[in-house]
Amino acid sequence: MFGSVSRRSLLGGAAGLALAPSLGRDASAQQRTRLRMAWWGSTDRARRTQAALEVYQRKNANTQVDTESVGWNDYWTRLATQVAGGNAPDVIQMDYRYIYEYARRRALKPLDEFVPAPLNITDFGQANIDTGKVDGQIFGVSMGVNSTAMFYDKTAFERLNIRPPDHNTTWAQFAELCTNMTRAANRRGFFGTMDAGFVEPAFEAFVRQRGKSLYNGDGRLGFVRDDLAEYWDYWDRLRKAGGAAQGDIQALYRSTPETDLITSGRAAVTFAHSNQLVAWQAVTQNRLGMTMYPKGDRPGQYYKPSMLLSMSATTTQAREAASIINFIVGDADAAPALGVERGVPPSARMRQAVLPTTDELGRAQIEYIALLADKTSPLPPPPPRGAGEVEQLLRRVYETISVGGARVPAAVDQFMAEAPRILERA
Amino acid sequence: MATTRQDVSAGRIARPAETARRKPIDRQDGAAYMFLSPWLAGLFLLTLGPTLVSLYLSFTQFDLLQAPRWNGLANYERMFTEDQRFRNALSVTFWYVGLSVPLKLAVALAIALVLDKGLRGLTLYRALLYLPSLLGGSVAIAFLWRRIFAYDGLVNEVLAMAIGFDGPSWISNPNYSIYTLVILRAWQFGSPMIIFLAGLRQIPQDLYEAAAIDGAGPVTQFFRITLPLLAPVVFFNLVLQTIDAFKAFTPAFIISGGTGGPIDSTLFYTLYLYQEAFAYFRMGYASALAWVLLVIIAVFTAIYFLTSRYWVYYQDER
Repeated sequence: MFGSVSRRSLLGGAAGLALAPSLGRDASAQQRTRLRMAWWGSTDRARRTQAALEVYQRKNANTQVDTESVGWNDYWTRLATQVAGGNAPDVIQMDYRYIYEYARRRALKPLDEFVPAPLNITDFGQANIDTGKVDGQIFGVSMGVNSTAMFYDKTAFERLNIRPPDHNTTWAQFAELCTNMTRAANRRGFFGTMDAGFVEPAFEAFVRQRGKSLYNGDGRLGFVRDDLAEYWDYWDRLRKAGGAAQGDIQALYRSTPETDLITSGRAAVTFAHSNQLVAWQAVTQNRLGMTMYPKGDRPGQYYKPSMLLSMSATTTQAREAASIINFIVGDADAAPALGVERGVPPSARMRQAVLPTTDELGRAQIEYIALLADKTSPLPPPPPRGAGEVEQLLRRVYETISVGGARVPAAVDQFMAEAPRILERA
Repeated sequence: MATTRQDVSAGRIARPAETARRKPIDRQDGAAYMFLSPWLAGLFLLTLGPTLVSLYLSFTQFDLLQAPRWNGLANYERMFTEDQRFRNALSVTFWYVGLSVPLKLAVALAIALVLDKGLRGLTLYRALLYLPSLLGGSVAIAFLWRRIFAYDGLVNEVLAMAIGFDGPSWISNPNYSIYTLVILRAWQFGSPMIIFLAGLRQIPQDLYEAAAIDGAGPVTQFFRITLPLLAPVVFFNLVLQTIDAFKAFTPAFIISGGTGGPIDSTLFYTLYLYQEAFAYFRMGYASALAWVLLVIIAVFTAIYFLTSRYWVYYQDER
């Protein structure tokens, strides 16, 4: 049939020439559905995801999933460009930081119509479903639960016979412990902890422990001058006491596992996210342990979706895309390949499937998430536009203290003046 | 060339003999344009088009996801009146260009002079010395540079051994970080070196012989013969290298992890532009930044060309 139509169109001349390519595409589409899926992350993540997708393609022989995987920074550049060019991937790994922006600009497709079939997320628990909602509609499905976490170098602590921090360690005890650690190690360029004065999640936990927040509901700063001053003062003192890394060594950190001071043997403690334990452990010989951030008066940490899966608003294969999302977050066959590299699966049956196949790192993560159960507070609203720039500002201004030798009050003034301007402009 | 074109426009009056001679040239022009056409198509569609669009975008607010919104001169106003980081990026870039271009050219010329003495295995040396230029923009070099200039890097180890000096972490210390990038640029002296080498080969040997007979030493010979006769090549390298240095992006991007840090000490103009465009999605503002950079580069190039008649000497000029 295709042949006869094609011949007639050819006789039709120009019209036929215009038609032929589209007919060709339709014909091949019947044989094979092609979709694109994109995510950010390490090569380890790429390997795992591709392995899982291969299982999917074996089960669904008519589907071909093309993958795109890049680092965090390049990912958002690329995605924004693709969306602007009408060329977005069908299945998009999304971050909580960006989901409101993308959903409200109609770059994502609501997923409600695909629930419960093909997208079965009934065993996620309401809280985990809600983390993907924007204005009442589901725009993202949580891929894993994580939280902020402190990693410590188990090997180094054991060698020096010092007790590592645990979830009952207060900020004051933590400072003392780190100073002791530096002194005990007595090695040039090695410190008890990284300097987390610029680490936004650590600062967020600190202000939440004081009953404040990073941002309030209407997108303005949720803390005051004194909160920041006290936080920076804490780190400034700890650095000057030798407990935290000196400024120009800390400035070598580039937000990648291999430049972190803990993996390059320059600090015994680092501030990170629980699911990152897998990536961080992969680049160091020393064994890493994980515990909560230092303790305050109130809970500072919270559960969050480590990342979400969303669907492009412009996809032509919505049902198939939903079925891929379902496979990744809810099909036991995907579990062995994916493990807990993206955090602990929110789906109960996924967790069951992951448990027997998981290694020590995976179990540590699952136990950590369980440990937090009664020590967290609710997820804050997503950060407002401009939050990414404020995060950079926090680092830049803190570095004027840690590397530039500025005094804390002056730096705090600078931050408190510039941050609202950024938020206003965004 | 200019006269040829005039004649063509007045073609009908031209004498038959001349027409016959010119015709093949015309056909050659056509062929030349034909061969050029892929490049021309690229220029008009892929370069000129986006360039003009970016001019339009520089007067808008545009975040890639929503349609651009006209906001007149607001971007330029913000740039020149309130943007501290813009001013800082400018000063970092001027420092970088001002230091790295002369240094790189001096190194290139010095190496070219040595190679010109006629070493055995010249081609091998030339190839080896060119190698850094090929590697300069790669990610591996960022790691190499960290190994060399980090606090426990090669430089500090040598310093500690040689004079017992405890060096800072050069690459992540705002007082020194820009100089590590200047050195990185000077290290990639390959392409100006090759051009200098070719220029040196053009200088007639008899001039040196005559100078030697007159009692001129090597230093006098260099300043009286080599440098003046090399001036056109110096000029060419200077223009290219200046433009190139203004546009430098990769080294700062990979060495600072895209931040331009610490404390914006390596925030090149292009890196700031990139951050505005792709980290904060202010395409309109970034386009305005791009146009200001274009004007800056144009001004520098114009200054070079206008002053060149006072210091560039062409041998075929009488």
